[in-house]
Amino acid sequence: MTWWEVLVQQTINGLTRGAVFALIALGYTMVYGIIELINFAHGDVFMLGLFISLAWFTLLGVTTPLTGWQLVTLLPLVFLLTMLTTAALNVAIDRVAYRPLRRSTRLAPLITAIGVSFMLENAALLWMGPAPIAYPDVFPSVEILREWFGLDSAIFVTTKDVLVVCATVPLMLALHYFVTRTRWGKAMRATAQDRETAQAMGINVERTILVTFFVGGALAGAAGLIQGMYYNIGQWWMGYQAGLRAFTAAVLGGIGSMGGAALGGLVIGLLSAWSDQYISARWTNAIVFSILILVLVFRPHGLLGERAADKA
Amino acid sequence: MGRAALVVGLLLYPFVDRAVGLQTVHAVSDGMIYVLLALGLNIVVGYAGLLDLGYAAFFAIGAYTMGLLNSPVLGSPLYGHPWSFWLCIWVAAAVSALLGLAIDAPTLRVRGDYLAIITLGFGEIIPVAIRNLGDITVEIGGWRPIERLNLTGGENGVNPVGRPYLPGVPFETDPVPWYFLILVIGAASLWAMNRLRDSRLGRAWMAIREDETAADCTGVNPVSTKLLAFALGASFSGFAGSIYAAKLQAITPGAFEFQVSIMLLCMVVLGGAGSLKGVVLGGMLITVFDRIVLSQSTFLVRWVGRTAGVQALASSDLTLWRWFFFGLGLVLVMLLRPQGLAGSRVSPVAAGADETDDPIVSEPSPSPRVEAVPGWLRERMAPGVAAPEAAPLLDVRGVTKRFGGVVALNEVDLVVPPGAIIGLIGPNGAGKTTFFNVVTGLTRPDGGRITFEGASLVGLRPNAIVARGIARTFQSIRLFPYMTVLENVLVGEHCRLAATVVGAVLRPPSVRAEESRARERGRALLAFVGLGGKEDDIARNLPYGDQRRLEIARALATEPRLLLLDEPTAGMNPRETEILTDLIGLLRRELSLSVLLIEHDMQVVMRISDRITVLDYGTRIAEATPAEIQRHPRVIEAYLGTGYEQELAARSSPR
Repeated sequence: MTWWEVLVQQTINGLTRGAVFALIALGYTMVYGIIELINFAHGDVFMLGLFISLAWFTLLGVTTPLTGWQLVTLLPLVFLLTMLTTAALNVAIDRVAYRPLRRSTRLAPLITAIGVSFMLENAALLWMGPAPIAYPDVFPSVEILREWFGLDSAIFVTTKDVLVVCATVPLMLALHYFVTRTRWGKAMRATAQDRETAQAMGINVERTILVTFFVGGALAGAAGLIQGMYYNIGQWWMGYQAGLRAFTAAVLGGIGSMGGAALGGLVIGLLSAWSDQYISARWTNAIVFSILILVLVFRPHGLLGERAADKA
Repeated sequence: MGRAALVVGLLLYPFVDRAVGLQTVHAVSDGMIYVLLALGLNIVVGYAGLLDLGYAAFFAIGAYTMGLLNSPVLGSPLYGHPWSFWLCIWVAAAVSALLGLAIDAPTLRVRGDYLAIITLGFGEIIPVAIRNLGDITVEIGGWRPIERLNLTGGENGVNPVGRPYLPGVPFETDPVPWYFLILVIGAASLWAMNRLRDSRLGRAWMAIREDETAADCTGVNPVSTKLLAFALGASFSGFAGSIYAAKLQAITPGAFEFQVSIMLLCMVVLGGAGSLKGVVLGGMLITVFDRIVLSQSTFLVRWVGRTAGVQALASSDLTLWRWFFFGLGLVLVMLLRPQGLAGSRVSPVAAGADETDDPIVSEPSPSPRVEAVPGWLRERMAPGVAAPEAAPLLDVRGVTKRFGGVVALNEVDLVVPPGAIIGLIGPNGAGKTTFFNVVTGLTRPDGGRITFEGASLVGLRPNAIVARGIARTFQSIRLFPYMTVLENVLVGEHCRLAATVVGAVLRPPSVRAEESRARERGRALLAFVGLGGKEDDIARNLPYGDQRRLEIARALATEPRLLLLDEPTAGMNPRETEILTDLIGLLRRELSLSVLLIEHDMQVVMRISDRITVLDYGTRIAEATPAEIQRHPRVIEAYLGTGYEQELAARSSPR
């Protein structure tokens, strides 16, 4: 491979990685926007999304690549089932662990969030065991450049990359529509800006928070499913790592800002892919966390966010 | 009695253990190392209220300092010089403290939950760095300036680590000397922390934890206070880490990961953050649970499984569940008993959980009496020298402050002569509180000069301005709600006290004298404002009027020459208002204290002010005596209203 082929390849890898981060980051940013909580357990909801989608595939008897009509029936069905499950899980987490602490300081629900994160991770460890779990290759993988266009290129683009784009972009557009055009979205934005005033205007704040956790959980579930189909592997601890990277993405984009979360996800995906290639994969985590720290210290409102800063 | 029994028990324990053949000394000693770590974390989380999620990083730094300085393994310039263990523990503590300062210094302006994530980030970076620094190769083009350099032992860690040497003490073969070594260090740490807690520094930490802005405006420097907490907390984990390394004889990067930070946090939260007893209790409980209960109950569950013929139970291993239980423990403690098992008066991390209760309304205390003015305050303030033609105490010229497009203050001038009471009035949103914030350093002006006793205040931090002699109260009362009434006032005295860490721990006569004098002064001041006998009440439990008075007492404790009062009578009934008005008058008469007063109660302002400045939309529209202000057309139009004019006319007509 020539140097530019390596660069293009790593950029494609980074963008697909980043798309998954972006979906997770949206859940962080929405919850933070509305109740100012760093939902530490969110990454683990993503991890469980992967295993839950695996369970749904197994339940439906899918172990081999889907073909033809299955792609337009079974795959959306599994998306729906997974997203509903993780959404319900996320709502349940909020009800049990965060809601009783709404009137408490910021740090109390953060501590319970860490506790929940540990519980989810170790529940997954006990459910799936410590070894990596093979995720069946349910999505057909076709090398596009070579097999469809007949190009003799070293760059590797498959239908799976297309899947990531085709799944995340509509989800984000739907979320954008939901937040900007619907009643519930308006209630969410109002609650995020000023909970008390929103309440005074007749908005059911608790139900709005519930909707936020529901939507965030659904997106994390979708991310888990995509991750599973793309990389064909799942591990109990992956939620912690992915969660921290996604949180970094949310902070980088400006926490509370949905566009920021999407942008931040792509940036973190790209940076980590480039770092794997050009520095060393073993330093990537240190680099991502350094970015997190630098952003929090020097630009706490991120690239696109403004509100978070003056809410201090 | 209880304490003596505890000491005897701790001293006898290893021998009883040996006699009975329990063989738990190793586990207990390891547990005590974690308790020592938890005590260090408690300074950061419990006292200073800074959630640290990467505390294990300092544990690692301490352990690796010991490992690298005291290991006979060759490989890098650092190895091969087995230093004495007794020297290394101090070096490790110092290195940890220094790195604690270096790492956390940039994070000080960041608020609570972000700070937690930053510490978590460092907690992740340090083990990654330790792993990767075991095999460094730098390649630029074909040039390799550094090839396979091993600084830290990498994934394999450092092994073996030199043991401590004391003549005749078998550290090599016997766990008992380790037990006593850790016991001595632990006891010394507890003793030191107990003394720190009840010192000027301990109070400053708690003040920062409760309300950083209020602490800053009461003369506590948040930057140095937080840094001290981080450095001391890190140095304790340096000690613990170095002992851990020497005891275990091997260290690997895996021993310092995120889970360890969370386990330590569990210990602090379970026992009750801020309570030493609680942290020790929480630490021991978790260690016992982890090392003994889980493995023993596994046997039990397996036995039940075998007898009942349930295969899943018979082959279960509860120790795999340990982190699940830690997570569950964190959730349950925060939900059910946020103050922890030992239940100090409040959990710093869960403070404000029940903010809804209204302050109790009670009978106001009697009017302040002249003879009650504390003698020390009189001495400090040197009254009676204020001549009217003297240079102004506070001189504000052309101060401007913009927030985005809004001009909150527009070229405002204001002069406070020594010993004067100046009223500052105007409609809501006129910029009065912004003016206070600019003078006290909370907000930096965009232009203009502010001089106090001839020196400029612009750019000074609030605590430095307090030290210069300006104290303030807040429109919405900002006490340190979970500290006692006396502690609130003692925080006010903070900037006039001098005790250092060493002084606070060793308590030489000078520190003892200073502390008892400070308490005496605090009591006198509380008696003066009418809070005598309530010294040990928790501030948030005071009735509303008392809270206002406590805030004034706290401001007076800083020995100000200028007092800024932001709506001191807001929410008070007429009787309370009258008492407070008398108090302000008394302060001026007896102490020649100058007062700048924001107030909406016109009767109060008109009665006690020498001159009044009126702000409207950030602009000064009038500056005159009360009588002139009442007739000033622009003031009537902007603020007092035509009704007030008629009321005045009606009131003055019988004359």
